[in-house]
Amino acid sequence: MLPEEKTGIVGWGVYIPRWRLNLREIVEVWGFNPEQPEELGVSEKSVGGVDEDAVTMGIEAARNAILRAGINPREIGAVWFGTESKPYAVKPSATIVAEAIGATPYSMATDWEFACRAASEAIRASIGVVASGLVKYTLVVGSDTAQANPGDVLEFTASSAATALVIGDRGNAAAYFEASATYVTDTPDFWRRDHSKYPLHGEAFTGEPSYFKHIVGAVKTLLEKTGLKPEDFDYAVFHQPNATFPMRVSRILGFPKEKITPGLITPYIGNSYNSSALIGLARVLEIAKPGQRILLAPFGSGAGSDAFSIIVTDKIEERKYKAPTVDDYLKRKYTINYSLYSKYRGLIYRVE
Amino acid sequence: MRISIPPYWRTRIHKYRLVATRCKKCSVTLYPPSNICRYCGSREVDQVELINEKARLITWTVIYSAMEGFEKYKPLIIGIVETAESKTKILTLLTDVLPSELKPGMIMEPVIRKIREEGEAGLIHYGVAFRPALISENTKTS
Repeated sequence: MLPEEKTGIVGWGVYIPRWRLNLREIVEVWGFNPEQPEELGVSEKSVGGVDEDAVTMGIEAARNAILRAGINPREIGAVWFGTESKPYAVKPSATIVAEAIGATPYSMATDWEFACRAASEAIRASIGVVASGLVKYTLVVGSDTAQANPGDVLEFTASSAATALVIGDRGNAAAYFEASATYVTDTPDFWRRDHSKYPLHGEAFTGEPSYFKHIVGAVKTLLEKTGLKPEDFDYAVFHQPNATFPMRVSRILGFPKEKITPGLITPYIGNSYNSSALIGLARVLEIAKPGQRILLAPFGSGAGSDAFSIIVTDKIEERKYKAPTVDDYLKRKYTINYSLYSKYRGLIYRVE
Repeated sequence: MRISIPPYWRTRIHKYRLVATRCKKCSVTLYPPSNICRYCGSREVDQVELINEKARLITWTVIYSAMEGFEKYKPLIIGIVETAESKTKILTLLTDVLPSELKPGMIMEPVIRKIREEGEAGLIHYGVAFRPALISENTKTS
């Protein structure tokens, strides 16, 4: 039995802020081609409010995940927080989340960094520590108030959301891990230097040698390892920096469109970085049936990708509605203008 | 305006999990928590978490002239809510809502938010605010 098969997702939870920015506002303010949002396949993006950050969003997602899992938070042995928008450069966000959910003081708690893939690596590490018996449950949170240089094409999609997973023994899981694989190389496609407020990226370099190479590398490794084929999966969820990249990578790998669209959330909220693929997984878990197989392939710049084969169990039905769903949060929205968005995301400099 | 670290640190769990005190004699639940019941004077109190309770909005006010450190959160909406089960009245910030959307009796729920920041380099204060409940017909917890 692989270590993966001993573990699974016991609970999941998401959070999407109420505020949305229609991408036409960015077109107008920065003089972009009006067709740019359509080319990205995204019409609006979620915006964290003035009182929100990666920690507050992560706490709500974590609370939802614990509600679904129905466990005592004190049984969580590791709180692992994946983000690239830490409120503190030095001081863990994970301890704030752990304290807020009641997992302290005997839990491990650490922030993970790997661009959009930090939480994904924390999932693979969770498989290890749970399968070994070191801890009973881990809580993995992927949360970002994604940053982008104002006027950069990245601004169209950089959004805010969080997803949390409680990972534990397969016997209590709503979906268990069947196998997993990782593919990483040193590829400088996107970065943010110390003291730089916004990230820079290599434009087209973020595609072929980065997103596509690494996701294809991880997924092919998983398929070779397991002997599975695309037709063996009912759903596939890829990292979704926009709506076109996941559709293209699915074509490269041989997954039909209908297996991708249920977990494609970026068209409605943009790219929530560490939550990007995970919120797609959450949406799929909320519609999946027992026995169905899901491919999950997050990606992070710098660069790397993981591929997970996940099988839904008969516990899925009782967990789905124990906390608000992705669709509940998608429905709760209020559109703001570019000025309010600038204030909420700290794009306006004010002397305090 | 800088608040020293110890008061924030001592009260963090009360704020993060909405920990109140319930009097063992008269059953009144108080938030912020108090070691002495303000209704009957008893010193026998239990700690209870109200973070999963919904609440009803009783009243509110909108503050346009905020004190130093709160300017970027303007307009601040401060309300009084009463929790559904413990019937505790809580003075709280309201969030995720426009003043024009508020109605007496609205169902609210607690969330953790940034309450204030001590400038660009100082401590971030997290605490409870209430927002209109994200109610779903499908959500058994609501």
